[in-house]
Amino acid sequence: MQILTNIGFTGIEIHEKFDPFRGTSKERTAVKYGVQGVNVFARKPERAG
Amino acid sequence: MAITCPVDLDRQRLREEIQLIYARVATDPSGEFHFHRGPEYAAAWLHYDPAALAALPDESTAPFAGVTNPLRMGPLGEGTSVVDIGCGAGMDLLLAARQVGRRGRAIGIDMTEEMAEIALRSARAAGLDNVEVRIGDALSLPLDDESVDAVISNGVLNLTPDKSVAYREVLRVLRPGGRFLYGDITVANELSESDRSNIDLWTG
Repeated sequence: MQILTNIGFTGIEIHEKFDPFRGTSKERTAVKYGVQGVNVFARKPERAG
Repeated sequence: MAITCPVDLDRQRLREEIQLIYARVATDPSGEFHFHRGPEYAAAWLHYDPAALAALPDESTAPFAGVTNPLRMGPLGEGTSVVDIGCGAGMDLLLAARQVGRRGRAIGIDMTEEMAEIALRSARAAGLDNVEVRIGDALSLPLDDESVDAVISNGVLNLTPDKSVAYREVLRVLRPGGRFLYGDITVANELSESDRSNIDLWTG
């Protein structure tokens, strides 16, 4: 999420996580790397002034 | 976590492989793939409302291959202009179009022509005339600066070779105060160099 901050987004929040590869042929690779689906909210700053 | 692809990964080949895979998903959603698809998966794994999905054309929901449910971070609100980056066959796009209503706009962007055609056809079949679909790339969005109120994306930006460029594009097209409702996969452990160079893993 630091990447989004560095680029200029604000109010960054992780809202929810999912397990989209459970039961697929890539499940073992997903478990190996800790793969999750993640809902992330971010906002473009309001214009200053 | 590394966000750029390794130097020796062929970006053009990656792009072509992604287009091939998702063209196949569009035309044969019941075929064999490494990832789940369809409305039953969306409801059971990602908490989409089954009734809302049942009200959409089947050809927009059957190829759905998202990895989260970004609209759970809404609601988008009446009159909002929203763009769906990597809209695919249009499931999230059409749900968003219903949320923003006739005073709003829902713009789908996809680099796969087969998917874009299905998304637009499905929007018309659903009576949603606030939807348009454009062929385009997440690294160079076919949108003016500060032209939309919200951006959604579901399991797409992880397919780009340079995510910082994709995120900068999102920032560019959003109006000040605009929202980014972003769903994607993350990894907890750094990928090995061989896995990072494996296009099969990039494409799902």
